[in-house]
Amino acid sequence: MSKPRVAIFDFACCEGCQLQIVNMEEELLDLLTHIEPVEWREAMSESSERYDIAIIEGSITRQQDEERLKLIRSRAKVLIALGACATLGGVNKLANGFDDLNEVKKCVYGDAARMPHLLTGQVKAVSEVVPVDYSVHGCPINAEEFGYVIRCLLRGTTPVIPNFPVCVDCKMRESTCRFEYGEICLGPITRAGCGAPCPAAGMWCFGCRGYVDEPNINGARDVMERYRKTVDDLKSRMALFNTGQEQPHA
Amino acid sequence: MTESTASQDIYLPMPATIEESKLLTAVDRFFRIRLSSGAELGHMPGQFVEVSVAGIGEAPISLSSSPDTTGVFELVVRKIGRVTDALHALPQGSPVGIRGPFGTTFPVAEALKGQDILVITGGIGLVPVRSAIQYMLNRREDYGEMAILYGTRTPADRLFTDEIEDWRARENVTYLETVDRGDEGWTGNVGVITTLLPKVEVSPVSTRVIICGPPIMYKFVIAALAARGIPLEHIYVSLERRMKCGVGKCGHCQINGYYTCLDGPVFNYAQLSDVPEAI
Amino acid sequence: MPIVKYITTDQLLVWVNALIAAQTVYGVQAKEQRFAYDALADAADLRLDFDVTILPPKKFFQPLVETIMKFHVDGHYESVTSEEPFIIFGVHPYDVVAIAQMDEVFRANYADTHYLSRRERATIVACDIQNASPSMFAACMGTATVEDGFDILLTKIGDGYVVDVRTAKGEALLVALGDAPDADAGTLARREQFWDDARRFLNKYLLKCKPTDLPALLEDQYEHAIWEHNAGLCYSCGSCNMVCPTCYCFDVQDEVDWTLEKGTRVRKWDSCMLRDFATVAGGHNFRRRREERYRHRFYRKGQYLWQRMGQIACVGCGRCTTACTAKIANPVELYNTLMEG
Repeated sequence: MSKPRVAIFDFACCEGCQLQIVNMEEELLDLLTHIEPVEWREAMSESSERYDIAIIEGSITRQQDEERLKLIRSRAKVLIALGACATLGGVNKLANGFDDLNEVKKCVYGDAARMPHLLTGQVKAVSEVVPVDYSVHGCPINAEEFGYVIRCLLRGTTPVIPNFPVCVDCKMRESTCRFEYGEICLGPITRAGCGAPCPAAGMWCFGCRGYVDEPNINGARDVMERYRKTVDDLKSRMALFNTGQEQPHA
Repeated sequence: MTESTASQDIYLPMPATIEESKLLTAVDRFFRIRLSSGAELGHMPGQFVEVSVAGIGEAPISLSSSPDTTGVFELVVRKIGRVTDALHALPQGSPVGIRGPFGTTFPVAEALKGQDILVITGGIGLVPVRSAIQYMLNRREDYGEMAILYGTRTPADRLFTDEIEDWRARENVTYLETVDRGDEGWTGNVGVITTLLPKVEVSPVSTRVIICGPPIMYKFVIAALAARGIPLEHIYVSLERRMKCGVGKCGHCQINGYYTCLDGPVFNYAQLSDVPEAI
Repeated sequence: MPIVKYITTDQLLVWVNALIAAQTVYGVQAKEQRFAYDALADAADLRLDFDVTILPPKKFFQPLVETIMKFHVDGHYESVTSEEPFIIFGVHPYDVVAIAQMDEVFRANYADTHYLSRRERATIVACDIQNASPSMFAACMGTATVEDGFDILLTKIGDGYVVDVRTAKGEALLVALGDAPDADAGTLARREQFWDDARRFLNKYLLKCKPTDLPALLEDQYEHAIWEHNAGLCYSCGSCNMVCPTCYCFDVQDEVDWTLEKGTRVRKWDSCMLRDFATVAGGHNFRRRREERYRHRFYRKGQYLWQRMGQIACVGCGRCTTACTAKIANPVELYNTLMEG
């Protein structure tokens, strides 16, 4: 059996998720025994139009990017969204929360806002443009989970991605709840699987893996009151990675 | 704490081989499996096994053959998740892991003996029930009247169509079937399974009922039986839950205070009348 | 003849360091603002004045993530069990009771060799409670002190500890202690007084009934409004389960390594509060609604396991109460509310 040809493409992002793959070290060699990379800007100079698996990093911000993504999808048998920008729209999606994108650009880039490569429209997650077969969540991705997803794919089975809150991972690590430090933590509504590194390092959960199915947003409101926070505090936290995400009630 | 470690690992599968695999419907596949040790599985109708595909996982699957079938046992697996997808993809001769048999049985060798038997089943509910039917047909004289009611969504969803024809042809068995939706060739009943009930004789004294089907089926069938005077303790149901470990530890198959893997999957319905999560 | 010694705090440190030099010792240590069991590198890190640990000592017998077998995709399976002996230093009475309950669970019907192998290789050094945890109700549950289920029991009396040795395993640890005097009658009398106080006062919440009344109480409360009300606030985050010393549900998954041919079957702690806990293949969820899962947990603690093994599956440690962000996990508040009807 010939190795599947894999291409990694980056869109609007910091390319930090690709970097996590490059940083897999020995495991990267294991990975390369099973796949043949044919395009990967951060690791090689070749490019190709022929690939089986396309890995998409970054959010989709411009019309020409949508066209490019659709072309990639048409060429790939399997498409993986890599990292929060691709799976959720990520931090880039914060821009969608403002009425005037030009104002946002001016605020972010100052005078450079007029540069043509900074042209941006409404930000989209990959799944808002083309169908996604697998998602590797996180900002950045967890390289271990990426390896697991790839191995599942190579074995022809579906990866089991947690659909429970980060609190589970956090308790397993015996971290003290960030609410006890008076902070708003998105752990109770965010998908686990990261191993809760942020609370273990003294930070609240930013929600970079997106929400679990049926997050209890009503419950979250009550907790805000209990900890003397406002719903607006909570919303501003949620906006960082989850702008425009559905907030279904339980 | 006393030193009492049993040496046997209850989670360790027995090696086995898929001897035969064939599609019964678009999504249901029949497997004939032999333990590599050559031993008999030693099950009774109603029990289940945990089937492992190494590298994918393990899933609880109902035994479909009667214990009278020796040397091998039979399963029917609907392609519906990771493990069952993988099982469908395995060629004949492939290795699988087996644990079991686990769980309670239809009381074919005890309480059902000498009684009139009414089997009511829907969809893949026929899979475990077939084991009991085969067992009883092999000892037909041990039971009174025998009726089998089978409902599926469409004619193409019916399992074991050859065996069904055998049941239909038997003079000592009443076999009735229905489908939710017919197709061009279908001349039989159309409607839910309860529409078949008035067509069979039942006795509050001598009829014993076996029910196995999709979750939605039980409530309506049991209400219809109760309306005809069948006492709850004359009804046996087989319930589906997530029997992850099969040995009463993992907690996934709990129905209120019961573990489906230990106390079920076959329950006398009288056990369940005060168990709100059961049906 | 029972062995009951009295040692100074300094002697305790020397003893523990001697034990550490000889084998793996897990002990209670400070972690952020709380306490947790971890491998002890130095007796000075041991905190027997702890109130409660974040996770119960159960994690040493049923590890959070545990490889239970190795496999090859050709169908070969090989059991993996741990054979390493270890000591757990500083187990409070309520956790001793919980461990005894877990022993029963993992021995019943089908004996679980993975759990039992670890359990039998463990030496449990229990320790009477010096500081009550913020949510505890151990006295209400009858678990503030304990009669058996440990190898050694330490009780702080004055500036030292009474070392009460109950088993051969416990006695084996005494070799490292060296010479120590037997506890005198006065010290033992003070210990009796300490236990009397513990059994009366180690409560931050008061359960208004006997624990053994809970199964009957729950009999009529299945439709009580509290389930739906509290579940409306519940994140279904599983924290209450994760920290519970008498929760033991697990999930099992296969993981292949980069050979794609070999791998391990792994079991991980699971939680009946999580949304997909009772979901079967194909997607049907038998406990779909949040309140069904919330109610299930309290019934399991107060009635279901009682029916199966005659024990209430709650030992009053208060961990769930503390761990719950929404503050709906407190068993005392919940059961007291049900008592009001």
